[in-house]
Amino acid sequence: TKLPTALRAAKNYTKGYTDTQSKVREATSNDAWGPSGTQMNEIAQLTYNQNDFVEVMETMDKRLNDKGKNWRHVFKALTLLDYCLHAGSENVVIYFKDNIYIVKTLKEFVYVDEAGKDVGANVRQKAKDITNLLQDEDRLRNERRSRGDMRDRMLGNLA
Amino acid sequence: TPTRPVDKEKTETELTQNIKKATSAEETAPKQKHVRKCIVYTWDYHSSLPVWNGLRTQPILADEVQTFKALIVVHKLLQEGHPVTLKEAHAQTGWVETCGRTVGDAGKGYGSLIKAYTSFILSKLRFHRHHPEFNGLFEYEEYISLKNIDDPNEGYETITDLMTLQDQIDSFQKLIFAAFRGSANNECRISALVPLVKESFGIYKFITSMLRAMHRRTDAEDAMSPLRERYNAQHFNLRRFYYECSNLKYLTGLINVPKLGQEPPNLIDSGEAPEIP
Repeated sequence: TKLPTALRAAKNYTKGYTDTQSKVREATSNDAWGPSGTQMNEIAQLTYNQNDFVEVMETMDKRLNDKGKNWRHVFKALTLLDYCLHAGSENVVIYFKDNIYIVKTLKEFVYVDEAGKDVGANVRQKAKDITNLLQDEDRLRNERRSRGDMRDRMLGNLA
Repeated sequence: TPTRPVDKEKTETELTQNIKKATSAEETAPKQKHVRKCIVYTWDYHSSLPVWNGLRTQPILADEVQTFKALIVVHKLLQEGHPVTLKEAHAQTGWVETCGRTVGDAGKGYGSLIKAYTSFILSKLRFHRHHPEFNGLFEYEEYISLKNIDDPNEGYETITDLMTLQDQIDSFQKLIFAAFRGSANNECRISALVPLVKESFGIYKFITSMLRAMHRRTDAEDAMSPLRERYNAQHFNLRRFYYECSNLKYLTGLINVPKLGQEPPNLIDSGEAPEIP
């Protein structure tokens, strides 16, 4: 259905969200799919601009601290964060090392949906993975470097 | 001030609500979303005082379930809060003692658990007062790099203190298992096992790496033998504890319960360190 998307667009309009904030909200919505690689890549590139970086962090922080019913917001914000830690600016790494407890305390996230399914498990696993990544300086460096290399190669092939 | 976008006034109003809800009278686990807000508060503002004040002013002591839940909150706060939480907790021991003394008993059988929990928390605080280099979950790989020393005498004392704490966890967990009610919902009791599993494993890993380091640095293998014996006994106790936990679906849903090997790790060879859950 198109309704949630339309509602979100209306909300983005009435609350006066900027383009960047809307993009992050879109990528971390309650829809059952996504975020797409294209969406995440676009947001990761935005973090290289100081103003956009602040807006991305603020919107992501809101999503990460959302309530259980909106577990998809939390899960997708973690997915987006994982992507940005690999492909975004160094500032993302610094910001989340500083605020690691936001991710760390999601390791016991609990939410059981109407069907009795423990959907919190997805959040818990992702929170564990990202915490480990943030605490492993060498691995994070290597993964960021190889991601950068791949991007350069791909851009090189396109040129 | 935090680098996160926060609203201090709003957070403090919500904090009171979070504490109230985390220590509600329902016989369930303290809701993690509320406990999380308390933990996050200490990191955002580098202070745990509003949380302690909130706990002290809640009317929880007349109800055994509420008191027990408050102690779980305290334990998690000590483990995962900002390091200042452990320091500020020393001024709160009077209140913790009061929790153990004024047990409201509605016949749900939490009285002995509350007493045991308060004495465990007080021991934990004593440990941290004597060894301020440790964090609440003992999350370090190497003793030597932590202390930047290799004084075997001091190491010996630290290990002994850690082992004493480990023994206390073991008797407390046994008490919790013994308090399970056959057909009833044991969620509230089980939720107290979560921080105990984490803490015991942190201590276990730490003792393992510390004993290995000490064996590398001293030739006095004989002098170390009482520690090795105690270590082996604790390994078997812990193994049984984790095995029993692994049968509790509610608990394994929340955390990975470590699985220890049949035999204690070799302390003299520098073998593989135990896996992190």
